[in-house]
Amino acid sequence: MSGAVGREAVFPTRQSLGLMKGKLKGAEIGHSLLKRKSEALTKRFRDITRRIDEAKRKMGRVMQIAAFSLAEVSYAVGGDIGYQVQESAKQARFRVRAKQENVSGVFLPHFESYTEDSINDFGLTGLGKGGQQVQRCRETYARAVETLVELASLQTAFVILDEVIKVVNRRVNAIEHVIIPRTENTIKYINSELDELDREEFYRLKKVSNKKQRDVAAADLEIQASREREAQKQLTGAADKETPDAPDVLGEQEDTDVIF
Amino acid sequence: MEGLFFNVNNGYIEGIVRGYRNSLLTGQHYSNLTQCETIDDVKLQLAPAYGDFLGALPPNPSTSALAGKMTDKLVAEFRYLLAQATGSTARFLEYLTYGYMIDNIALLITGTLHERDTRELLERCHPLGWFETLPVLCVATNIEELYNSVLIETPLAGYFKGSLSHQDLDELNIEIVRNTLYKNYLEDFYKFITTHSDLKGTPTQEVMAEILEFEADRRAINITLNSFGTELSKQERRKLYPEFGKLYPEGSLMLSRADDIEAVALAVSISADYKAFFDAVGLTQGGSGIGGMGGNSDGKSLEDLFYQKEMEMSKIVFTRQFTPAVVYAWMRLKEQEIRNITWISECIAQNQKERIGNFISVF
Amino acid sequence: MAGAVAYKDRQFLAVIGDEDSVTGLLLAGIGHVTDPPEAQRNFLVVDAKTENSTIEKAFQTFTQERNDIAVLLINQHIAERIRYIVDSYSEAFPAVLEIPSKDHPYDPEKDSVLKRVRRLFGE
Repeated sequence: MSGAVGREAVFPTRQSLGLMKGKLKGAEIGHSLLKRKSEALTKRFRDITRRIDEAKRKMGRVMQIAAFSLAEVSYAVGGDIGYQVQESAKQARFRVRAKQENVSGVFLPHFESYTEDSINDFGLTGLGKGGQQVQRCRETYARAVETLVELASLQTAFVILDEVIKVVNRRVNAIEHVIIPRTENTIKYINSELDELDREEFYRLKKVSNKKQRDVAAADLEIQASREREAQKQLTGAADKETPDAPDVLGEQEDTDVIF
Repeated sequence: MEGLFFNVNNGYIEGIVRGYRNSLLTGQHYSNLTQCETIDDVKLQLAPAYGDFLGALPPNPSTSALAGKMTDKLVAEFRYLLAQATGSTARFLEYLTYGYMIDNIALLITGTLHERDTRELLERCHPLGWFETLPVLCVATNIEELYNSVLIETPLAGYFKGSLSHQDLDELNIEIVRNTLYKNYLEDFYKFITTHSDLKGTPTQEVMAEILEFEADRRAINITLNSFGTELSKQERRKLYPEFGKLYPEGSLMLSRADDIEAVALAVSISADYKAFFDAVGLTQGGSGIGGMGGNSDGKSLEDLFYQKEMEMSKIVFTRQFTPAVVYAWMRLKEQEIRNITWISECIAQNQKERIGNFISVF
Repeated sequence: MAGAVAYKDRQFLAVIGDEDSVTGLLLAGIGHVTDPPEAQRNFLVVDAKTENSTIEKAFQTFTQERNDIAVLLINQHIAERIRYIVDSYSEAFPAVLEIPSKDHPYDPEKDSVLKRVRRLFGE
């Protein structure tokens, strides 16, 4: 893992170690947040896909009924009204309005259909005969189109969510598989560098203390030797005099330095 | 007396039409058709009646293609009759085509108004409403030119003159134009039937007058019902009512003042037939509204009842002899048959079998 | 992401379909013709004679050039004719919706969105 991910170019100092640790913590929090967001979106997404599936099937039926009502019209009118209808279309009576819905920070559009009741391009279609069927057909188709609009909002939500989920998942994966390992690596690197430094320091200290010990031992030896010499001298003095002049400890004479 | 010399000129045509009538589908045929599972089955069932015409269709054709081919047969047969006819019978047959011409011209007016290429529209025109100078109308690029060429070139000139100016074509809704023309056409046809020296006092006058009166009343009622809730004013509406028929003048006047369905029902109650229709579809009670018209128990709408009545009248025409009215009756029956078959195939194609019985068969 | 501006003005539906579908939808009142001089309709009638390039052009116009269209309805059998474009279309606005036509019942297998749904669930 570490080979592929690499580490960040930082100086292995304690300060950058602190930074990295902060970064790692941030990344972990971010990861769990994004993960939760992705889960929420995916839940919604699955819900939408299921509804799309249902709505598409429903649309099949609704459109069939609508097409059938058109057949009724052509039966009643006894001819083709297609061309006339196409030519008399001027202003849309049936329109949609887009609204937004906030799902975990993602704005999903929701189409709402409404009719401009003032606009009526086909009021006189089928005046001579078939007018009632035309009227009924219009209502049937208007209902069918409502279903279609509903489906369209679902589908748009589907497309947007799909996109958002992809982005979020990419981020989650990036954090999980790149940023976190890399930060961890960096921390590991800094730690190892710092350890290395520690070890060097320790070794040096050890060396110094070794030297000191040696010096102390040499000094001790010297003191020992001088003491023995002293004792020798006293012994010989006692042999000379029963009670040799005990040295005046409190006297003025200089003591030899005692080095421990 | 009138029958004495009828056969000299028109016997052949009458014979042919009676032959055509026998090839109309009967209840038995229809019940076979309703059992079909696919359009191919329908095609197979229709083979005895429509043989050659359906041969060119691809397997499982669309219902509109099927209807197109059936119309082709009707057109071919009618053209044959027209070619055989002479004198007042020929004139009578021409009158039959004027209704279709009105539709065609309305189509061209629509196209010209929206600056479409009207040549493309020619193939959408109903073949029965075709006349030699129809393509000439396509040359017109604006409404005024079109209006002038309509006046010069078409047999419909008389229907335009006096009631529509070229500004009207521009300003009025095409449906109003169409219905104005149709009103003039019906009145003219009625006048022809009742005053032409060859037809006056013959069975033709008797039969056709009844049929045309019915047609006029039907239009008046339909226009009234369909104009509720639209921008059509009462004065304009009144101008669209043909000025004859059982409802004319008292009923028409009441219709022109009607504001709702009850008022229409009241207006038509002077004729027992129409009153019965309105009672049957439950419009007299009110409250059901236009939307509920097709939704009553036996699934018949007012239009269905009108069609039913028209078919029955057409059927009775065949009990009369020595009259070209049988051609009219045959055409109506044939058209209804095409509509029936289209309906049945539509039900089959769209899997709506529960409504398949909603056609009108009188034989 | 589509900002608020991207769909505030989108209030129309557009349709590419066969004559019956278009007629029906127009009856429902979705038809809109913009003001002259550049009158543009928001519907296209496709029949057997219509060239694929015409359909493609209409699809591009409705999806890219016009910014007042919220939903584009297209008959499935017509979408089939320009499938490569429909499949590669992935914008959220306008939403492209495949609808059945009278002569061609709806086949969920061919729908480009449903295809994506299925792919996501690994079916």
